[in-house]
Amino acid sequence: MELMDFFTDYTLRTITLGTAILGAICGMLGSFAVLRKQSLLGDAISHAALPGIAIAFLITGVKDANYILLGALVSGLIGTFWIKGIVKRTRLKSDTALGLILSLFFGFGMLLLTFIQKMPNANQAGLDKYLFGQAATLVEKDVWIMAVVTGVSLLVLLLFWKELKLLLFDEDYTKTLGFNTRFLDILITTFIVLAIVLGLQTVGVVLMSAMLLAPAAAARQWTNSLGVMIILASIFGALSGVFGTAISASQNNLSTGPVIVLVAATFVVISFVFSPGRGLLFREIRFRRNRRELHFKKTLTFMYHIAKNHENVSHPHAIRILNNFQGFTRKTLNKLEEDQFVQITGTDWAMTEKGYLEAESIFNQIGKDND
Amino acid sequence: MTNAQIEIQLIAALVSIACAIPGTFLVLRKMAMISDAISHAILPGIVLGFFITQDLNSPLLILLAALTGVITVVLVEFIQKTGLVKEDTAIGLVFPALFSIGVILIAKNANDVHLDIDAVLLGELAFAPFDRLLISGADMGPKSLWVIGIILVITLTLLFLFFKEMKLSTFDKGLATTLGFSPILLHYGLMTVSSVTIVGAFDAVGAVLVVALIIAPAATAYLLTDDLRKMLVLSCLFGVFSAISGYWMANILDASIAGSMTTVLGIVFLIAYLFSPKQGVLFGFFRERQQRIEVSLLIFLLHLQNHTEQEERHVNHLREHINWQKVRAKTVLELAAKNNLVQTSNNIVSLTEKGAEFTEEALKYITTNKATAIEELKERFFLFRG
Amino acid sequence: MNTNLPAIQIDDLTVAYDYKPVLWDIDLVIPEGVLMAIVGPNGAGKSTLIKSILGIIKPIAGTVQVFGAPYKKQVDKVAYVPQKGSVDWDFPTTALDVVMMGTYGSLGWIKRPGQKEKKASLEALEKVGMLEFKSRQISQLSGGQQQRIFLARALVQNAAIYLMDEPFQGVDATTEKAIINILKELRQAGKTLIVVHHDLQTVPEYFDWVTFLNVKGIASGPVMDIFNDDNLTKTYGINYKVAVNQ
Repeated sequence: MELMDFFTDYTLRTITLGTAILGAICGMLGSFAVLRKQSLLGDAISHAALPGIAIAFLITGVKDANYILLGALVSGLIGTFWIKGIVKRTRLKSDTALGLILSLFFGFGMLLLTFIQKMPNANQAGLDKYLFGQAATLVEKDVWIMAVVTGVSLLVLLLFWKELKLLLFDEDYTKTLGFNTRFLDILITTFIVLAIVLGLQTVGVVLMSAMLLAPAAAARQWTNSLGVMIILASIFGALSGVFGTAISASQNNLSTGPVIVLVAATFVVISFVFSPGRGLLFREIRFRRNRRELHFKKTLTFMYHIAKNHENVSHPHAIRILNNFQGFTRKTLNKLEEDQFVQITGTDWAMTEKGYLEAESIFNQIGKDND
Repeated sequence: MTNAQIEIQLIAALVSIACAIPGTFLVLRKMAMISDAISHAILPGIVLGFFITQDLNSPLLILLAALTGVITVVLVEFIQKTGLVKEDTAIGLVFPALFSIGVILIAKNANDVHLDIDAVLLGELAFAPFDRLLISGADMGPKSLWVIGIILVITLTLLFLFFKEMKLSTFDKGLATTLGFSPILLHYGLMTVSSVTIVGAFDAVGAVLVVALIIAPAATAYLLTDDLRKMLVLSCLFGVFSAISGYWMANILDASIAGSMTTVLGIVFLIAYLFSPKQGVLFGFFRERQQRIEVSLLIFLLHLQNHTEQEERHVNHLREHINWQKVRAKTVLELAAKNNLVQTSNNIVSLTEKGAEFTEEALKYITTNKATAIEELKERFFLFRG
Repeated sequence: MNTNLPAIQIDDLTVAYDYKPVLWDIDLVIPEGVLMAIVGPNGAGKSTLIKSILGIIKPIAGTVQVFGAPYKKQVDKVAYVPQKGSVDWDFPTTALDVVMMGTYGSLGWIKRPGQKEKKASLEALEKVGMLEFKSRQISQLSGGQQQRIFLARALVQNAAIYLMDEPFQGVDATTEKAIINILKELRQAGKTLIVVHHDLQTVPEYFDWVTFLNVKGIASGPVMDIFNDDNLTKTYGINYKVAVNQ
């Protein structure tokens, strides 16, 4: 398929629009999951939705997207509340509860799916698209549903922005101000479950959680404002959806889910490495620069101590006495000469007046910091 | 039963034991989700290994895939250390990406790789008996039986050798370090064993269900016992039970073996979750009620000891001031009277000698933070329980 | 408040986590206008006491009254400074933003803070000496600065009672001085301050009221009257004379 077809073809436009909206809502709500330290909850919920999909089909006997969505939603919510129940009522910790529900529900779902596949009226091919997602099956109605849910969650987010932000940052404090944290918790959890269920058809149960996490984790690196983070996460999510769909549509045999996830993962890697504030690359550069500066200052003050004992501060000394000093390098010496703090003649160095004054001020500064 | 059926059940049982052992430690160390990450992330390792060896049971493939698992753990820990995202987010970012690479590799090379997506998620236990190990023409049994058997023997050997060290480092990391056992070495040892086991089990039960085999038996056992040895034995028993009954359920329903093994595990967990005498939800309800009454009784006795004023010890005060519902106040008062801890005259309640002694001792235990000692104390003083 | 009601009255309060007692039959009356320290060993239930007053933790028995009414009805009269370690300081927000959160309670549901709230928040920031850091991301503040931000957030609430959970933990000496000065200023203005405190040496210097707590209430009253070896020994279980006189 040519790239141009992509933008002219009606079906493709629908699909692209769908994945873009999906990416946006996932980025938006995923930011909440990430900041609430519930990153893995999404993984558990999406897996827990599988038996619901199968049961909805078994009951209705038809492959109606609405029933299936409803089944997934119910089953996902049951999983979520059971996780909370296990953590609250038993000694099992949240990681065990998540892993349990995730794998047990999924296993049960797979049992049902294989059972369905072998049923005589096996005209059900396509239920396994829910495993890895098949964006190609999106139709206009699906996109409408996504758009409406996105609109509603955006509205709720704007309406309760202040309260949700407070809840994310400091739950106890939120309670003391008189807000009902239970209500807020159920509100945000319900929307997260809804977003996951909406994404199952496109991204699939196995990889849905990444759709929720990756855009938010990437966005967090570029900003220190919650609002900007959520907007950026929505953009990253939408872009992952669009690029992922485009790439998977241009090749045979590629499920949409894995491709979208890899595009989103690329955003994460780029953000981790190249973000100016938090990124690893700039952190390393800053770290090295600081270390070099520290060496530079240390060498200069070391020289200052030697020079101080002479009446003439510019009295020459052998370079080799600097070798006893840790942190001294040839590079530092060159830099010192470049800045005209020292003069080098042969194997000797001598401090300049300028260097002496600079060293004195650094020395005094260090003394003050230590107080 | 045919030979193949016996072999399948044998493989399934060995896989569940091999999974249950590292699973017990992962659950206790609050690292259960790392098994989820490993089981997904080894997929590209398996696919690459398959390109090289063309044999799913080759030792090289297993090592390569297990290495991917350990690399995943290292990568997750690296991301956690950068502090760029929260700890659980790091897990959630790494494994879907690696898994996606695996799925795409399979899809793009569908003609060369005889792995399909269903096999990745579910394994192909039913086909395991067809891949035989032949040594100079002699049939030595299914290859996967040998693979998982060897992994199990290694795991058991390590378990017996390092049981004490693992136990200590699981429950008291600090003490383990001071005694000279390196927690880091044990940690990566456990991660390696887990990775190898997951790779070995992957073939039989697939990526997601191996997580169930690791977590569910251990979690179920943890609801039933406090003893590490018992927990290990129970996990293995639950695993084997689910393997065998899961196989027969799949046989009857004509559905996936791995799927029904997991379903049985789910049912076993559900039963323990509801009915475990110590942790179960159902008994929990009664236990909570009893505990609430006992705590109320202690509060009440302490209150009497604290206050000499008559109006504080008036029967009505219980309801008005201590803010209990009427029923509970009555139960508590009756329980105290039945045990001869208090006496009532003119609606004024006061401690008996026995009551005073009991309160004094209870208080000592409470303030020294030895709440468990109260249980023993109650045994000594109580004739009637609430 | 100009009432004769005590700022806080606690009757027969018992709190248990998993039915393990943490606070045990506490009776406590805190008069209005005191600057009070809550002292006691680790695990004595000091934080739990504050959290029960604020309704964060539900007691299994007993009542708490704030100016003669349950906390729920007096939300606007109480400000809370949680332990610094209780929140995630890597949260994407600025110092000013955190302080503004103090105004959310009086705004109620849905309404957004406006110019008035911003002005009050800036004033609070200035009071704790953090005005120049208002746009700083909170993770880039030192421990002492983070504590000042929390204090400013409580100041914006303009409450009658301030409950603080270890405000001096992990802060530098300058911040400690600055905080205690603000607390004393608030007390001058007639506010009631309740502070979980660790450093016994500074109790007589900083506070005028003290409560000894070790699961049970040991004693409560003016520092001058009850801050003595007897109560310290009762609270900490060992002879504390040496430690305090150092």
